[in-house]
Amino acid sequence: MLGYIVRRLLYIIPTILGVAVIIFVLFNIAGEDPVRVALGQHATPQAIADLEAQWGLDQPLWKQFLDFLRQIVTFDYGESYFTGERLSEAFASGALVSLSLTLPPFVLGLVINIVIAMMIAYYRGTWIDRFSTAAAVISMSVSYLVYIIAMQYFLAYELEWFPINGYAPGWDAIPYLALPWLIIIVVSIGPDVRIYRTIFLNEMQANYVRTARAKGVSERGVLFTHILKNAMIPILTFTIVAVPFLILGAFLMERFFSIPGLGDLMISAINNGDFPVLKGMTMYITMTYAVFNLITDLLIAAVDPRVKLN
Amino acid sequence: MAVQKISLWQKTPQLVMSALLIATVAVPLGCRPRQGTGDTGVKVLDTFRASVYRSLDPPKQFDVASARIISNIYDPLLEYHYLKRPYELVPNLLETLPELGEDKLTYTFKLRKGVKFHDDPCFPDGKGRELTADDVIYTLKRFADVNVNPQSYPALLENRIKGLDEFREKTRQQKDLDYDQENVSGIEKVDSHTFKIVMTEPDPLLLMSFATSPLSIVPKEAVEKYGRKLEHHGVGTGPYVLDKNPRKGVMVLKKNPNYHGTYPTEGESEDQSQGLLEDAGEKLPIIDEIRIPLIEEAQPRMLKFLKGELDSIGIDRDNFSKMAEKVGDQFKLKGEFAGKFNLASANDLSSFYITINFRDKTFGQNKALRQALAYALDTPAYIEKMENGRGHALNTIVPLPIDGSEESVPVKWYSHDLNKAKAKLKEAGYPEGKGLPPITILYASADPKISQQNHEFLRNQLAQSGIQLKAEFLKFSEYLQRKEGGSFQLASGGWGADYPDAENFYQLFYGPNKAPGPNDGSYSNPEYDRLYEQMRRMSPGPERNKIIEKMALILKEDVPVVFLKTPISVGMRQKWLLNSKPNLMLGSTFKFLDIDTEAKAKGLK
Amino acid sequence: MTRVHNLYWEAAQKLSRQKLVVICLGIIAVYILVAVLGGFNVLPDYQTRVGAQYEAPSLELAKLLGTDLFGRSVLYKILAGTKTAMLIGVLVTSISVPIGVILGALAGYYGGLVDVGIVWLYTVISSVPYILMVIAISYVIGKGLVAICLAMGLLGWVGLCRLIRSEVLKTRNLEYVAAAKVIGANDLQIIFSHILPNVIHLAIISASLQILGAIKSEVILTYIGVGIQDGASWGAMISDATGELVQGIWWPLAGVVLVMFLLIYSLNVVSDALRDALDPKLRGTTEVAEGDAQFEAQEAAVQKA
Repeated sequence: MLGYIVRRLLYIIPTILGVAVIIFVLFNIAGEDPVRVALGQHATPQAIADLEAQWGLDQPLWKQFLDFLRQIVTFDYGESYFTGERLSEAFASGALVSLSLTLPPFVLGLVINIVIAMMIAYYRGTWIDRFSTAAAVISMSVSYLVYIIAMQYFLAYELEWFPINGYAPGWDAIPYLALPWLIIIVVSIGPDVRIYRTIFLNEMQANYVRTARAKGVSERGVLFTHILKNAMIPILTFTIVAVPFLILGAFLMERFFSIPGLGDLMISAINNGDFPVLKGMTMYITMTYAVFNLITDLLIAAVDPRVKLN
Repeated sequence: MAVQKISLWQKTPQLVMSALLIATVAVPLGCRPRQGTGDTGVKVLDTFRASVYRSLDPPKQFDVASARIISNIYDPLLEYHYLKRPYELVPNLLETLPELGEDKLTYTFKLRKGVKFHDDPCFPDGKGRELTADDVIYTLKRFADVNVNPQSYPALLENRIKGLDEFREKTRQQKDLDYDQENVSGIEKVDSHTFKIVMTEPDPLLLMSFATSPLSIVPKEAVEKYGRKLEHHGVGTGPYVLDKNPRKGVMVLKKNPNYHGTYPTEGESEDQSQGLLEDAGEKLPIIDEIRIPLIEEAQPRMLKFLKGELDSIGIDRDNFSKMAEKVGDQFKLKGEFAGKFNLASANDLSSFYITINFRDKTFGQNKALRQALAYALDTPAYIEKMENGRGHALNTIVPLPIDGSEESVPVKWYSHDLNKAKAKLKEAGYPEGKGLPPITILYASADPKISQQNHEFLRNQLAQSGIQLKAEFLKFSEYLQRKEGGSFQLASGGWGADYPDAENFYQLFYGPNKAPGPNDGSYSNPEYDRLYEQMRRMSPGPERNKIIEKMALILKEDVPVVFLKTPISVGMRQKWLLNSKPNLMLGSTFKFLDIDTEAKAKGLK
Repeated sequence: MTRVHNLYWEAAQKLSRQKLVVICLGIIAVYILVAVLGGFNVLPDYQTRVGAQYEAPSLELAKLLGTDLFGRSVLYKILAGTKTAMLIGVLVTSISVPIGVILGALAGYYGGLVDVGIVWLYTVISSVPYILMVIAISYVIGKGLVAICLAMGLLGWVGLCRLIRSEVLKTRNLEYVAAAKVIGANDLQIIFSHILPNVIHLAIISASLQILGAIKSEVILTYIGVGIQDGASWGAMISDATGELVQGIWWPLAGVVLVMFLLIYSLNVVSDALRDALDPKLRGTTEVAEGDAQFEAQEAAVQKA
């Protein structure tokens, strides 16, 4: 078990190297030039050279890359070019806010969507199933952006059920977060319910279910005891890998509702060529992604005795 | 001066213009939950920022978002009069405007007595001490230090003060130079509140640099205590103290009770009747607290303003058509908005145009083709349709509120004429556009929506004369590289005033400033260059205007650029926001504003 | 090979029996027709002014969905945007599906180092945030339609590649493949004539999902400024609408949402039906339809992007 975990963690290294190369190459050949963005029009060559020297961009590329690798090992990506902030501090404070935006609707949505999906699966083949599946498809056919624009306009502005936007630290954030949470849940219902429904239906055809039914366990009993437990494996596989991206937040949501998370840090970093931010954010996500993949596999092994780790 | 300039606003033409619009005519909002707060008598301004600032350390920034905050925390030596137009320099931290000595090279600055820095732990006992000449000298040296300021020095002070460039060179050799050990020959302390500055050559425009936010006065103690953290902290003499400063949430500024400034006692003729002089002579600042949340999207901004949660907002192109209209020369709010809000408009200090590249073989040697372009474009229609009339067609390169504009220089630009455009096209060797390959125009796609719609309009217009136009939308650094590297045919661009003088615009066509300098099209005309050199050493006045007129006529004949517009910013204010007058040369006007707290409490209910 | 032909024949019959699916196919056909007409420039020019600024919808054809900021017909603009949308769908799919199929087949068939390399490649790609990669790639190529299509195409193959790889892993040890080897068929022949035909239905299902995913992504990408720069697009119309709704101008948003909804809905229905008809795993077997869930996960990821 321990050996397995260590081996899996070692596998992360080539992935990280790959991501590092991709980010480094993309930034150097494709990104905005941070020096030019910072200096604007008609910068003198001397000013460009001075700023490049200050940011270490005058170093040979291989040296810059080695520096990047050193940063990955030390978890210290320095300061943002654009705002001069220490990134470790910015990430820490932003990540919590982003989590407060995405985690509650993630958990709540998981529960709601599983309940709906079970209900649909229970009534499979009836009009309830057909109607709900159609509703799921309909809700998926509208752009995420439209949900945000329309719900902010109608629910916050016209009906005044929520504040239009804003944020306050601590528990005071809840009134401001309520509408974004609602939108995230609404958007997740369509696609998630469909997947969970498929998963439940597949489980229902499994042999153990037939056995249980044959033994006279009621349909409801089968659903809640056997099927739910077994269906959790694919459901977990599907949902847990999304967790690292929760930390990143939902950047459109953060922009429309002025929530000070990490979401648009990355977009503005791309536009400003803010390389330290890009490096930090990407590496951070790559690592959490890999770790959560591992956690998923361990969880599955814990839940399902048939799976052996090797 | 033949230095290359970074324009404060023109870093990215479209992007910055929209930021400007928000920052000036607009003052954004606050985010208070829906419950009304009631009238507590505390004056709170609810405004917003549309983007995060870069740095609050004055010499380390040169962008609108940073300047807006810095101007509230720090003071530069001089500032522009809040009410008077054209813009007029007035003393801020000084007793009077600096006096020019007999030699025409030496300015004597006398600091105001009793100006105190904010209370801050960096001072002994946490009490802000008095501002002295040493602080200014320290600030100037720090501003010139290449390790502190790689950015704005070339634009503001390079080649202008004796010995300062040499000082900068020394800081490049030696990273932690002790400023006290290194004298600058052109900066001389006379007594605790007096100092002299010696210029390298007569330079009537130098004082304007001392009114910009990068040259705000920073105390040594703050730099020594906070170091790089000063980029997110603030210890100045300004009207407000930084109270809360989250990167993205609500920034809060609190009144500095010891501020030295007072509300101006004179203004323009209509200022009196508009109530802008009610507070004449009052101690500044008037408002107790300013709340500045970050709101990046236009929709929540407007929704909050309509609900009364923001005190002012800019109106962009899309909103304008539904909310306001142009009646004659006046802008008015329409329908339900008219009774609820006040409208404010101001002529911008920027010009927009299409640069023609003289290094391009199609255009460089073909004057008739360039003139055809000028005839083919219907700029009034462009302003009418693309900008809802929120702009003026330019006759010279200088925007209207600036000294030396068409108001004192009577030159007329080309007016739209399809027949003449076609005749010129024929003269150029391309009758009906035959033989003329499609022309490529560059856009910096900071705001893709705007560039794209503008392009659609221009393409349709030129097509009427038989000229085919193609677009290239580039990321900003690439756009600069192409423009400054001289590899383009046409480029859409603009220039915002670094200081309110015509010289700042005419230097755009001075031969030695050619690309990568501000003369993007690498236009060159010896006669023009001679006139420019003469003009830039003269003080404003009728004599200088005569020379400017000659220069404007040369530009008209040679067509190095085709003018598009100088914009008018339009914004809405809540009725309870008082003393509000757009001032595009001040980093921020918060200290002059007032709030009718009773009306605001009612409006928020 | 008849086994395979039967599958498609059966599937087509199955689809044609479902009324909703037939209607949706009809709707998609109409969109394709509009796109093709747009391609030949025979649609009314959306650039022409047909009325005043922001006229509400009325019964005149050009003003059926009202007019925009410049008095242009919202309907014509949407029709012009249809070409862009369909182009994006087709371009993205025609890049990502072949890559996914070929890499998946290679990895599954050869195993060993080839497999390790390909698995490594897609792990790396899926570890980098999607939006970041799209923006970065579009920077390399220059902003615009082709750039975002290439970017989405170059990133969109991962899910399909995974599926094909695991399918091929199972197939390559089957008897008829072994038999083909015995009669001396080379690797390419085996892959193309024996293995691929058995997994190609996965590519078809994936393609139908990719098309709708791409059309939806365009909206978001254009909104953040890396999408369509020059020309009509639904994404540009939706991002314009953010400023318009505030002033009570609902018709440009309503129009484009409606038109987009119809297409996406139809594509959703058809891809569901295709999956039911083509994926043998769902046809009465007891095996967990891991592929099926993966498709839906892929789609959900697009939703949340």
